[in-house]
Amino acid sequence: MFRLNLKIAIRNLYKNKVYTFINIGGLAIGLASCLLLILYAQYEWNYDKQYRNSQNLYQAMINFKDGNGNITRTIDLTQNVMLESLKGDFSEVLDGSRVTNLYKRLISTKENSLKLNNRYVDADFLKLFNFKFISGNSINALNEPNSIILTESSARKIFGKTDVVNQNIRFENQAELKVTGVIKDLPTNITYGFETLTTFKLYENLNVWPKKPNWGNHDYYTLLKLGDHTDINAFNLKLKGYVGKHYPNAKEEVFIYPLTKLHLYGEFANGKSNGGNIKQVQLLVGLSLGILLIACINFMNLATASTQSRGKEIGVKKTMGATRTDLIFQFMIESFMLTFISILVSIILLEFALPKFNQLLDIEIVFNYLSPANWILICGVFIATGIISGSYPSFYLSGFNAIKALKKTLNFTNGYSLTFRQILVIIQFSFSIILIVATITIYKQIQFINNKPIGYQSNGLIEIPHEGMLYQKFNLLKSKLLSSNAAISVAQSSGSLSSKNSTTRGLIWDGMNESDKLIDFDQIFTTYDFLKTSNIKLLYGRDFSEKFASDTSAILLSKTALKLMRLNNPVGKTISYQGDKRNVIGIFEDIIWDNPSKIVPPMVIAFADISDVITIRLNPKESLTKSVQTISDVIKEINPNFPVEIKFIDSLNEDKLKKERILSTLANLFGGLAIFISCLGLFGLSSFSTTQRMKEVSIRKILGASVNELMILLSKSFIKLILLAIIIALPIAYFIMDKWLQKFELRTSIDYTIFILSAIFIIAIAVITISLQTYRVAKIKAVDTLKYD
Amino acid sequence: MIELKNIEKYYSSKGIKHYVLRHVTTTIKQGEFVSIMGPSGAGKSTLLNILGMLEEPTYGDYEFMGENVTSLNERKRIELYRNHIGFVFQAYHLIDEMTVYENIEAPLLYKKVGSSERASRIANLLDRFNIVAKKDLFPNQLSGGQQQLVGIARALAAQPSIILADEPTGNLQSAQAEEIMQLFQKLNKEDGITIIQVTHSEKNAEYGSRILNIADGVVKDDIRVENVLK
Repeated sequence: MFRLNLKIAIRNLYKNKVYTFINIGGLAIGLASCLLLILYAQYEWNYDKQYRNSQNLYQAMINFKDGNGNITRTIDLTQNVMLESLKGDFSEVLDGSRVTNLYKRLISTKENSLKLNNRYVDADFLKLFNFKFISGNSINALNEPNSIILTESSARKIFGKTDVVNQNIRFENQAELKVTGVIKDLPTNITYGFETLTTFKLYENLNVWPKKPNWGNHDYYTLLKLGDHTDINAFNLKLKGYVGKHYPNAKEEVFIYPLTKLHLYGEFANGKSNGGNIKQVQLLVGLSLGILLIACINFMNLATASTQSRGKEIGVKKTMGATRTDLIFQFMIESFMLTFISILVSIILLEFALPKFNQLLDIEIVFNYLSPANWILICGVFIATGIISGSYPSFYLSGFNAIKALKKTLNFTNGYSLTFRQILVIIQFSFSIILIVATITIYKQIQFINNKPIGYQSNGLIEIPHEGMLYQKFNLLKSKLLSSNAAISVAQSSGSLSSKNSTTRGLIWDGMNESDKLIDFDQIFTTYDFLKTSNIKLLYGRDFSEKFASDTSAILLSKTALKLMRLNNPVGKTISYQGDKRNVIGIFEDIIWDNPSKIVPPMVIAFADISDVITIRLNPKESLTKSVQTISDVIKEINPNFPVEIKFIDSLNEDKLKKERILSTLANLFGGLAIFISCLGLFGLSSFSTTQRMKEVSIRKILGASVNELMILLSKSFIKLILLAIIIALPIAYFIMDKWLQKFELRTSIDYTIFILSAIFIIAIAVITISLQTYRVAKIKAVDTLKYD
Repeated sequence: MIELKNIEKYYSSKGIKHYVLRHVTTTIKQGEFVSIMGPSGAGKSTLLNILGMLEEPTYGDYEFMGENVTSLNERKRIELYRNHIGFVFQAYHLIDEMTVYENIEAPLLYKKVGSSERASRIANLLDRFNIVAKKDLFPNQLSGGQQQLVGIARALAAQPSIILADEPTGNLQSAQAEEIMQLFQKLNKEDGITIIQVTHSEKNAEYGSRILNIADGVVKDDIRVENVLK
């Protein structure tokens, strides 16, 4: 029986090629996206869970409080003394390490120099994470201050091989280090990844500030290993008031948080976790399940719509003594077979999609064919999909009355009542419409932010890090660049134009009131030519100039700063800035320094020789590639120990909206897929129903109906469903997207044009899809159909 | 074998009963070959459907092999289909996706007949109906008469005690129809299979042993064929 059923199923699939294609195509896409997103969820879920001690690792976090004791902010950075202090006071803390932020450090050997992502950590870092050492060992690899641990691939980058223990490395042009260990490359789904690891001791030796015990500054991550079965809540209770004991002025509380939860639940409000990356995971998993559901609905719809052609078979089988179970089993076999073929296709699709997906989300997922877990996953998805898509048709079709099935009196459109199948179509299209609205809204928001004037001319602007010999020879660099004709202006500054890196408060000016003390000003330090280089527009006054010696203690204010400070005739006034008297010599137009979706805060540009970045305006008359080549030659010549890193301000600014762009791409992709699969289904469904109405159409034709009238007649019932879907979906879409937009301080509005556009779009697509079928039937020769009936 | 007592079938719409069958009472014995005749809409097919338990009478008793089947549960009914009843349809109703061989095999699979037994029975039927060469063809590759032969072979595969045929030759040309009728007669005489057919044709009815004439849902005549022929 099983074999015969299988054979019949195959013949059926072969006979109804269009139907088969629609089902397999839709299901394969749905399954591929489902598998992809499950892999992604798995990847995110395993974040920081790969280590032997993962379950016992915690991070110290700080809750800041305001005067009333309410928690205003939660940060993951702690003081340099936190670790020692906690270890001394609490026996629960077994080991721990301070960890610095990831930072590109200059690594050089005789042959090679390059920058790699480095962290400074305490020696016990190796007790927290059991890295796999290829050479060297975890016991003493970081005991000597001048040790460095490399990952396998960074060892290859530096030396071209991995067998490099005891080799020497010059670090930041400041210290001689010895390689004490090479470890296997780290997975990408860990929070504290790195390419090279150096000791905190070295950090203290190279810099002044880390060494001095300090309860005021929060600069380092503190990771802790606690004993098994430590009650975290009880421990956190013990930590209440802990910082205050050491630092009476402190308005903050330290608490510990499991490292394994940090990635997915790392966002805090009022000191409580309120999500984090888990939101993105949920969003993507929801989307993929939606797509799979749409594909399953196609299967259900098409299978039940084939009622008429299967009716006879069902009827005959019933008279031969087939039980309902036999028939359910048979239809389930068909469903599972389609799902099986679709799974095979989806694995191929998955292979094509994975690299692109990894690139988009900047992650690293591979589908391991040897892992039994993956095959269990696939089997799970296979069975679930087969059952979901097969269940309704099986029960529906097997329940036919034999007589009616044989007499062909089964019909499924009676009056205006909604059948289950119609409800399924409405669900499909509602989902698609929501995705269309989302796509348009996200696009509109990105455009809205992009169209905001940035305040300077980012095109043709590049930046390089200010480092090494470039400090001493800045003026030489500047004159060489200008004389080379590749650049028309060069300036130094304390930070990049593209990213906010410093704020200050406590400016004092005449006429201020008490609350003004709390205004945070963005601040950037520079010397000469900064405005000229960036093309920031000057509204009043002038830029810093070498002609005025007093300009070395001058300051520029932004338009917003001027407004908040309520200064009349600001140019020439003196304000107090960080304890120094500063002369206001100019007012400049606001620039977008931070995330462009935020309200622009006030800003000051102060004269000071503090510099991390050199900004260069390229000569617009020269070719871009030539200028960049010239500039890097000049830099290389002046600062030979450092690799040249040229960045375009334009592309740095682009990166700010990366998250939104990813979301936009995903919405586009999934929206497109949802619409495509829904339309496949609609195509199949309209094909069945119009074929069933062939006789009616023929009779109407004889009575004088035109092709147009017939097409309208045939399309009407479907268009009705689409309209219903629109009515249902638009409020939902509005609700979802309104909530999404609330994230942004500056946001576009969702107006009715978005809804109209989406509605028109979906109706147009649906009409085209249906017309492919209705036209065929409406053009049919009446006599051919009637002859056979 | 079959006993009908006071069978009635009606549909009510808007409070009015539309009778299809009224007071049908008859007995059909093992080995009979009965033709149900009558004008269109007389209720012939409904009667056959009730006999085949495809429809339930609104009123009355129906005993099949000594068992009251008026309200038989699904499982028991399916048992009867598997073991005792074979259906032959006017439009053949072969399953398009199955070959001739598979069509004949299907009821045996439901009956859970072992594979070697299955093979020999099918071979036997193919042989007997002279369609061995056609066994791998699909229904749409056969003529109407051949399709009906397959339909009958299928009905016989499960070795039923009764065959219910709804206008088995209605779609066939007269030569083919004659062939089918001779086959029925032979099955009835040689194998002792009870046959009940619905037919319009007097000529076809003459192959049987008894004729039930129905008009407006009521059995008008119940005659032996040999009496007619005399």
